Amino acid sequence: MKLKFFMAALLAGATLGVVAAQAQELKYPKGEGAFSWDALQAFADAHTDLAGQTLSIWGPWREGGDQEQFLTVLAYFEEATGVDVQYASSENYEQQAQIDAAAGSSANITILPQPGLLANMASQGYLVPLGEEMAARVEAEHAAGSSFVDLGTYAGADGAEAFYAVPYKSDLKSLVWYSPDNFADAGYEVPQSYEALKALTEQMVADGNTPWCIGLGSGGATGWPATDWVEDIMLRMYPAEDYDAWVSNELKFNDPKVVAAIEEFGWFAKNEAHVAGGTAAVGTTDFRESPLGLFSVPPACFMHHQASFIPSFFPEGTVLGEDADFFYFPASTEADLGNPVLGAGTLATITRDTPAAQAFIDFLLNPISNEIWMAQSGFLSTLKAANVETYGNDTLRGEGEILLNATTFRFDASDLMPGAIGAGSFWTGMVDFVGSKSAQQVGDEIQASWDAIQ
Amino acid sequence: MDDVLQQLVGAILAIVIALAACVAYFWGTNWLLDRVLSSGSSSGDAMTKRDNLRSSIRPWLFLFPALLFLSVYLIYPVFETVRLSLFDGSGRTFVGFGNYAWALGDPNFQRSVLNNVLWLIIVPSMATGFGLVIAVLADRLWWGNIAKSLVFMPMAISFVGASVIWRFVYDYRGEGDLQIGLLNAIVTGLGFPPQAWITMPFWNSIFLMVILIWIQTGFAMVILSAALRGIPEETLEAARIDGANDFRIFFDIMIPQIWGTIVVVWTTITIVVLKVFDIIFAMTNGQWDTEVLANLMFKWMFVNFDYGRGSAIAVVIMLAVLPIMIWNIRRANAEQGTR
Amino acid sequence: MTTAVEQAPAIPRASTGRPSWLAGLTLGRALTHLALLVLVLIWTLPTAGLLISSLRDKDQLAVSGWWTALTTSETQGVTRIGTAEAQVEEGGRYFIRGNVFGTDTNKTVTAFGLSNAAPGAEPAGGSVEMTDGGAITVQADGAFEWASDAPFAHTRGPRIFYVSAIAPRFTIDNYIEVLTASGVGRSFINSFTVTIPATIIPILIAAFAAYALAWMRFPFRGLIVALVVGLLVVPLQMSLIPLLSLYNDIAKLFGATDGKTYLGVWLAHTAFGLPLAIYLLRNYMAGLPREIMESARIDGASHFKIFTTMVLPLSFPALASFSIFQFLWVWNDLLVAMVFLGAQQDKLVLTGKLVSLLGSRGNNWEILTAGAFVTIVVPLIVFFALQRYFVRGLLAGSVK
Repeated sequence: MKLKFFMAALLAGATLGVVAAQAQELKYPKGEGAFSWDALQAFADAHTDLAGQTLSIWGPWREGGDQEQFLTVLAYFEEATGVDVQYASSENYEQQAQIDAAAGSSANITILPQPGLLANMASQGYLVPLGEEMAARVEAEHAAGSSFVDLGTYAGADGAEAFYAVPYKSDLKSLVWYSPDNFADAGYEVPQSYEALKALTEQMVADGNTPWCIGLGSGGATGWPATDWVEDIMLRMYPAEDYDAWVSNELKFNDPKVVAAIEEFGWFAKNEAHVAGGTAAVGTTDFRESPLGLFSVPPACFMHHQASFIPSFFPEGTVLGEDADFFYFPASTEADLGNPVLGAGTLATITRDTPAAQAFIDFLLNPISNEIWMAQSGFLSTLKAANVETYGNDTLRGEGEILLNATTFRFDASDLMPGAIGAGSFWTGMVDFVGSKSAQQVGDEIQASWDAIQ
Repeated sequence: MDDVLQQLVGAILAIVIALAACVAYFWGTNWLLDRVLSSGSSSGDAMTKRDNLRSSIRPWLFLFPALLFLSVYLIYPVFETVRLSLFDGSGRTFVGFGNYAWALGDPNFQRSVLNNVLWLIIVPSMATGFGLVIAVLADRLWWGNIAKSLVFMPMAISFVGASVIWRFVYDYRGEGDLQIGLLNAIVTGLGFPPQAWITMPFWNSIFLMVILIWIQTGFAMVILSAALRGIPEETLEAARIDGANDFRIFFDIMIPQIWGTIVVVWTTITIVVLKVFDIIFAMTNGQWDTEVLANLMFKWMFVNFDYGRGSAIAVVIMLAVLPIMIWNIRRANAEQGTR
Repeated sequence: MTTAVEQAPAIPRASTGRPSWLAGLTLGRALTHLALLVLVLIWTLPTAGLLISSLRDKDQLAVSGWWTALTTSETQGVTRIGTAEAQVEEGGRYFIRGNVFGTDTNKTVTAFGLSNAAPGAEPAGGSVEMTDGGAITVQADGAFEWASDAPFAHTRGPRIFYVSAIAPRFTIDNYIEVLTASGVGRSFINSFTVTIPATIIPILIAAFAAYALAWMRFPFRGLIVALVVGLLVVPLQMSLIPLLSLYNDIAKLFGATDGKTYLGVWLAHTAFGLPLAIYLLRNYMAGLPREIMESARIDGASHFKIFTTMVLPLSFPALASFSIFQFLWVWNDLLVAMVFLGAQQDKLVLTGKLVSLLGSRGNNWEILTAGAFVTIVVPLIVFFALQRYFVRGLLAGSVK
């Protein structure tokens, strides 16, 4: 009887589970604009045997954020191959991806912004190697290709290194946002060096203004915006080799160099006169509300350090380039380390192999998959074949230029470090530092937690 | 709309099938038991034997579905957790009690234990206390039921909702800015500087506890109020005739009369506290020294993906409930003695 | 319970010479009223704050406290005036017109200015010289007119700063925004699909087990009771991965790709609700009068019969109160639904939908507040509808 109940109910459940994805209209009509339609056609011609298959994708882009844009990209993939794509995400997508992988119910494609997490998944044998050929293509077809190959290469369950993840969508972190009008009204100039940036900060204080809005609040991830600060400062104080050593913990977290970088961040954030609302507000202000200070009357602050995604949180109707603009978080002229750029991005991997999944990885290296999103917002591409003319606005194009002019490009350190550090003690440490602890104390504690996982 | 309809039909079907299956199982097995081991035809010793056999099988028939569910969904994972707690992060290498040794030396773990003890002392007592006071007060006023409904309301609110609600209470804006948090509005209204409540050492844990007390008081109140109504009116009347005042009646009559219920409520809230996770996860994620065990476990399991350490912390949480279990065994045994 | 007797010990009611309702108005009674009122206010205030906030204008909501909702608030704002392209020529003069508030009608300008430092330099209705030539006038209703004798040529619109008074206004726009977001209706249905079977299935299973644990004698009974209590505290996070693996293995047997079905969620919620159900129902049933049971036993009734004909009906209120708890817990759950059902758009439950709506729009307080209220409406209706049974149910049972 019990069995009958199970069978019947299972049947009921099974019929419920199957729901077709809604067909989406193509956002840009084929054949119009600067898009690489030929490449799309070539792609479609190369994958004619996939019609009717389904492909599940798990990614970080959620509704109200970037999901709409990603779906428009998927529409072209569906149209070209006839594959039915089911995309899903959730607030805690990293955790969900890991739970699904551990339980064996991963999507076909998993897209994550943390190489550290992917390395962890690869070592558990959850990822499917993409092969040498794909690694070679990424190296050849992406700007700074070899560094992206490194980002996607991890040790597998057997300990052997292999290439697992292709880059798709980059974010630029070394940006300072400001209101050109407010700068003009107060007579401030965009600083061209790190030293000038600090001088400008002091100038603003002397004028009775508050220079910075800094908000570390982010619910369960509170503290992460400060890690971007410290990483940017690291790249401006020391050569990139030190940064790499820091990421791999060869340079200890309580090393005087790192401690000095944390203290440098303290110069901005732990100075009552330098931040809107005072130091106490830094830890509790939500990072999504923090930039609003740029736009209040009178302005609560004049500058805001945040990645290229932040305009999504600007007030409704803000015109980029007019009401708000950005400048490159300038490099130090004293240290003379060139123009280091801190970035981040998402990487796509195959977590359950099918021909459609392989085709999708191929699609991500097709310029059209980049251009469709570039034409909208918040997408920076490092794919050489992607036509920069398709960028939707000058802000994106300007960010793209910073990316191209970079003499040093480094990936977000906290995303590369093991989760317990990069998404744990580093965050907590920064929150404690802004609270009351000293840079040395915080460095010691983070290093202790790193020692504990080795 | 087709698939929506299908889904609803599926849900209704599932209810019908599930109920039918339950009825069929319980009725069917009982019928079978009575049929197979019927005491009708035989006599004397054989009959007694069969009677005994039947009455020793029947409880297990009653219990079987529940035990099956509990075994698969809770007991099996418990054993799995205990096993994993003896292995390293990837679950491959046996490390003995290494994870427990790590936990004892980990400052975060120590902090969490300390916080959990605070939670265990403060939340159940405050929630039960407030629940009792509100229940007593509400039972004597004409608008008591309305009051009780309002106090119970937080029980119906999801943690997503609760965390939004309390953000409007604890919100902090820099000095001089307009405060939108209720607490800071009161404080600044009285002429003091605003405080960043959830970053204040020690007190921030208390502020988080307030949220759980706010939620759980409704539960305590409803159950205690029911118990209070169960006190025979004559007992209260007799005390009044003896000249006892309200406070004497409360402490000398009411509390002893409903002591059993108070303990049940206390236990239930204690268990909720041991599992408390959502509030800390949503409000601070353990920052500013507010970490508790359940959140720490979640972090090690699903952020750091070290199943070994996560499981070790889970085992510690389960061990913490041992005293409650032992007390319940004793109580169950005592009842058996009187029955 | 609420008669005056309690307050007038030892004195017969009639001898007070007052109507009974007046007898209640002693000092003690007044204090009782006051104390309860204060407690209820404390308990209700946070939720009331949310409700009021959710009904406020979205640009007021994040800048002023909800308790100021009824007062006129003053804010400072900025707007950009159109470029030369927006000019019109009338009688040889050139004008650029518009309204600093756009289409909002509940605001009034009290003063305006041309710089951040002095947004209130000129009272409304006054006129200020512009650096690009001409002068601008801003009226109290927000309408502005920039007039010049020479044609405008600027390509970058200058900014006008203003001090405005915002009249109190309540609106259901926030709710409309949440409810019309695509997929919210679907998640409502999904939530019901998950919640109703997951509430009903455990009841019978738990009731039988609770009866056995309360009224039957058999070995290991105490141990099983203790086990149930112990299982109450099992953090369910740790059972997620073993169970999901199990589901996936079963699904593979049936040829499905993964084990994420409604059936899986129902069974998981059933199991996770069982310890509390058994614990509550056992306590309740153990409190039923023994005499009834014993006389029924003497009359030769079997346990099955006693259970179905006497205990079950008598326990109805307790069953109802458990269903409320289970309903609330399942409805408000996020974790179990996410893990066992998945996060695809067509499978999202209401809590999941809201979190995803918040997700990258975390600073949209209007969605947060209205959304939070939308989720609690259904549980509140269920609670108030079943409240009768709730209280009655716990009336007899928990007295020990």
